[in-house]
Amino acid sequence: MQQRSDDRLIAYLDGELEMGRRREVEAWLDTDPAARQRMAALAEATRLLRRALDETIHEPVPDRLIAAARGEAAPRQSSAHILPFRGRLGAQIAERRPWWIGLPVAASLFGLLVGSGIAYLGVGKLAQDGVAGRQAAFEATAANNLWLDNAAGYFKLAVSAGDSPPVDIPATEDPREALQKISQSLPQEVRLPNLKPWGLNFRGARLVVEGGRPAAALVYTTDNKAIGPLSLIIGSSKQPDISPTFDRRQDVNLLYWRHQGRAYALVGQADIGYLWGIANDIAWQLDAV
Amino acid sequence: MSARQGLAGSPLRLVSDRGPVSARFSDQLIAVLPRLRRFARGLSGSVSDADDLVQAACERALARQHQFQEGTRFDSWMFRIVQTIWIDQVRSRDVRKEDGDIAEDRLGSDEPVRRVEARLALDEVRRALDRLPPDQRTALLLVTVEGLSYKETAEIVQVPVGTIMSRLSRARIALQLQLEAAPEGRRSTKDAAAQ
Repeated sequence: MQQRSDDRLIAYLDGELEMGRRREVEAWLDTDPAARQRMAALAEATRLLRRALDETIHEPVPDRLIAAARGEAAPRQSSAHILPFRGRLGAQIAERRPWWIGLPVAASLFGLLVGSGIAYLGVGKLAQDGVAGRQAAFEATAANNLWLDNAAGYFKLAVSAGDSPPVDIPATEDPREALQKISQSLPQEVRLPNLKPWGLNFRGARLVVEGGRPAAALVYTTDNKAIGPLSLIIGSSKQPDISPTFDRRQDVNLLYWRHQGRAYALVGQADIGYLWGIANDIAWQLDAV
Repeated sequence: MSARQGLAGSPLRLVSDRGPVSARFSDQLIAVLPRLRRFARGLSGSVSDADDLVQAACERALARQHQFQEGTRFDSWMFRIVQTIWIDQVRSRDVRKEDGDIAEDRLGSDEPVRRVEARLALDEVRRALDRLPPDQRTALLLVTVEGLSYKETAEIVQVPVGTIMSRLSRARIALQLQLEAAPEGRRSTKDAAAQ
């Protein structure tokens, strides 16, 4: 029995349940404190595992591996053999492929990141109040779904805009300047994750408002078609923390999470595997998960 | 498509003894290297073994680049190569190392030493990962760290989706139990996360 319960929770946590079953699990979590606790423990173990392996992403890729990827003969262990390649993967990718510019983030994104995970982490106290708790959970889920719909819709509009990403504050030579400006309009300072190892260049920031709270939309573009343009939304939230949660709207992928009063969402058309990797990178840099 | 033709629109370079390598193919390979290293690190439990594993995977991928089907996921194809080579290594020799060796190897990376307690706690997580059977470890890494779906993971490992679900369930429960049995590590990690 416990095994079946764990299987359902794990499938839910991995985003492998269809909408109907997902709602069943959310309803179950809404009314079962033990299940919520179990879910929280599974999510925590997952978070720790990701964090334990994150540092690999930030290490410079050894030259011998880049040489191997290029088909150059290289010794298996580092030696005196000098290879004519740059040491940083990010610099290579960034310089190589001018492809596509343009991802603005549109208005109205964040704030109400409540969603599917809310049931097990967020609404516990509310749920004690029976119907009121379920109503609150329902409303939170609906709000989250609406937000995700909007985020995906705006993303597609922005992508269709082409080469002129609509940013309020374009990135200058020193991108920190853009962050400082937009941070002045936010309750918390926004830090800029460096995503150049992924070939992603910061193009600028846009101030968006969602749920009555201002948020920053950071726009990144790349010439790597496998990743494509991305936006990172950083807002504030009074909701409980949740682990990165995957969702999808047509061909737009979203990873969203909350940590210590901040809400984050990574939106793009990259494969979910890339999004996970990039989200891990962001969380590591910002200590955001 | 032959290896000589390369991928569409991609210039070819003649290299050493492996024949022509398309620049586009190499670009894809380089782009996925950080994730391959992370996956290999999780599998092998060692920095040097992981890089050897990735290097071997690169060499095999280049030798078989004509087998890659355009329109399919390149990263999944590479994960499969890494996993296959690693399984071969596991079968041919006992590559498991003593816990102390693993920790020392990992701590020997270039990253400056910081937040020692947190690192010890994360080492505990890695040790818990190392204790999992290889098939469970693979499923856990592909789904939870690399973010692949059950179906994609099943295709990489070449087993039914139900088998992946079963392995994943056992792995997650085992991992959680091992972490719960290491209260010092958990506390340290929480402390670090709160910083």
